[in-house]
Amino acid sequence: MKRMCSTGFLAATLSVLVAGVAQAGAQDAAPGSLQALRVSGTGPITEVAGATWSQAKAVKVALQPQVVATPTNPNAAIKEVTVRSVHNGEWLALLLEWPDYTKSDAVVVDGFSDQVAVEFPVVYKADAPPSPMMGNAGGRVNVLQWRAAMQRDLDQGREAKIQDFYPNAPDADLYYTNILPAEAGQPYMGAKGLGNAVSVHGHTPVLDMMAEGFGSLTTRAKQEANGKGVYRDGAWHVTITVPMQPTADNAPKLEAGHSTIVAFAVWDGGSQEVGSRKAWSDWVGLTVGK
Amino acid sequence: MPKVMNWQIGREMDYPYEGKRPDTQFAMIIDTNKCISCQTCTVACKTTWTSSRGQEYMFWNNVETKPYGFYPLGWDVNILSRHGVQDISGPVYQGKTLFESAPDGSMVLGYLPEDVDYAHPNISEDDSVGQLAQGAFLQMPHMQWMYYLPRICNHCTYPACLAACPRQSIYKRPEDGIVLIDQSRCRGYRECVRGCPYKKPFFNSITRTSEKCVGCYPAVEQGRQTQCTMTCIGKIRLQGFISPPGQERPENPIDYLVRIAKVAKPLYPQFGLEPNVYYIPPIHVPSPFLKQMFGADVEQAQQAYRKAADDKQLLAALLLFGATPSILHGFREQDGQAIGVDKKGGELVRVPFKEPIFVRPGFDEQFQTHRSNAT
Repeated sequence: MKRMCSTGFLAATLSVLVAGVAQAGAQDAAPGSLQALRVSGTGPITEVAGATWSQAKAVKVALQPQVVATPTNPNAAIKEVTVRSVHNGEWLALLLEWPDYTKSDAVVVDGFSDQVAVEFPVVYKADAPPSPMMGNAGGRVNVLQWRAAMQRDLDQGREAKIQDFYPNAPDADLYYTNILPAEAGQPYMGAKGLGNAVSVHGHTPVLDMMAEGFGSLTTRAKQEANGKGVYRDGAWHVTITVPMQPTADNAPKLEAGHSTIVAFAVWDGGSQEVGSRKAWSDWVGLTVGK
Repeated sequence: MPKVMNWQIGREMDYPYEGKRPDTQFAMIIDTNKCISCQTCTVACKTTWTSSRGQEYMFWNNVETKPYGFYPLGWDVNILSRHGVQDISGPVYQGKTLFESAPDGSMVLGYLPEDVDYAHPNISEDDSVGQLAQGAFLQMPHMQWMYYLPRICNHCTYPACLAACPRQSIYKRPEDGIVLIDQSRCRGYRECVRGCPYKKPFFNSITRTSEKCVGCYPAVEQGRQTQCTMTCIGKIRLQGFISPPGQERPENPIDYLVRIAKVAKPLYPQFGLEPNVYYIPPIHVPSPFLKQMFGADVEQAQQAYRKAADDKQLLAALLLFGATPSILHGFREQDGQAIGVDKKGGELVRVPFKEPIFVRPGFDEQFQTHRSNAT
């Protein structure tokens, strides 16, 4: 957003137009509870358009600035996200759409990634739900975060390299990782060498995590979630899909005919939103269709 | 917010965590009077620690020319201007620290540099504050001046990076006070980059996490000084440990130089982080500038340093800079020599106050040849 300051008026105008486009795509959306519609097929549901979503009811979820945990974000950029849900008996998916006039997927010192997250209680008790703000002690939540930067890597079919951000940058004369076998090179790769999920170029743009309070977000040992993000017509269209019967701890069982709750968070990279500098929603009901 | 004691500002201050000092605290003393900005330390650090993808732009150790050199661009003037005018005149700091100046919803007053701020690591190298007028002659302090400021992470007693990290991914080791970022836990929020006034955590675009100077902890664990210290050709650095306030050991060269001789000063103590890299201020630079950078009593440090030739204890401590790769735990002056010792008192190094002069005759009897370079 900062780099577009000189064209601020144009950007502002564009955002209005863009918002119009995105709103048009979700014209039937209204506040309320989500219904995960049963659709045919098997496996992860990652497509962001098409017949799968045509019948799913769109729900507008209001987002509010995060002002409880430090650092706060009183001027959160994104105010609303439109959500649909479907499932095929094996996988449940959510389609999240919001207007964003700056596609932010290059992460440098002052460049942040657009992101969206879905949160489920690991065990849902209607009379004692966990805090929607990252859960609480004894109220563990499963957080699934899609990152535009990781989507960019997947779309390019390779991990990021320095020339992606600085086209004229030369490679260093020698990288240890060029001459050492993979295992011996690990100590020279920092977080990547340690297998930190935010660093590793994997098969999914969605980080599968758990939390039980502010600052406790931790990557699950098994990454089961998947998804896909497409930036089109000035808006992000992102699917996040999870197995309904997880094969590891710290993820909810989602059974057809049952209800649970789900919450959302959106980060606008162009507004330097990251971590707790975000917009978040309260719990929204989700009924998994039979 | 808990209150902690910061000896550098002479008072208690707010800090998000309880004050618990490490058993020993990593510390370094840098003699700015001897630095020639050859960047050997920078290259030693670079080749040791930051030669991987995403680290191309990083200098955990850098040397900049003051007052106009910065890495990243404008790092200190940017935070000083946000900090505003503060009263730094007395031994007890009357102004606010960066923690006490934190805006609502933040742990510390800070700012995030722009990407391009890192694009000129050696900007304004050797630039003086102005031109000499016609007929000028050398005066002390110099009327036009510059000096070199080598910088690493200060491994602060009260790190702002640690305070700012909402995930507690940054920790201060109890065994030596070295401040590290847990690379398996960091998620690249850059709150540490924003919070550290010295701008010593760096963001890696390839790993998408932040990284910083590790105090060469594998060397320190083996009782050896850091790479930037050991490779310094001018022998301007001494790395060791500083004792908690009130527990100074006069025989520890770091304690002696910082707390007893008071010849070495912290960098921007008014920020309130209690940084543990100490600088012997340049003696040719006017004190108003240095007071802002090194504290109110910087002139005492300059005067003490000027008299070092007459102060055997001080001279002994200064001569041990760069004299041994091992960390010194004690030193003494004896018979015109500076002697450095290890933790158990064993002698590590002996440096004569006066280098012996050897004169080789112009004609080499053994090889029956003339030596033109005989001195």
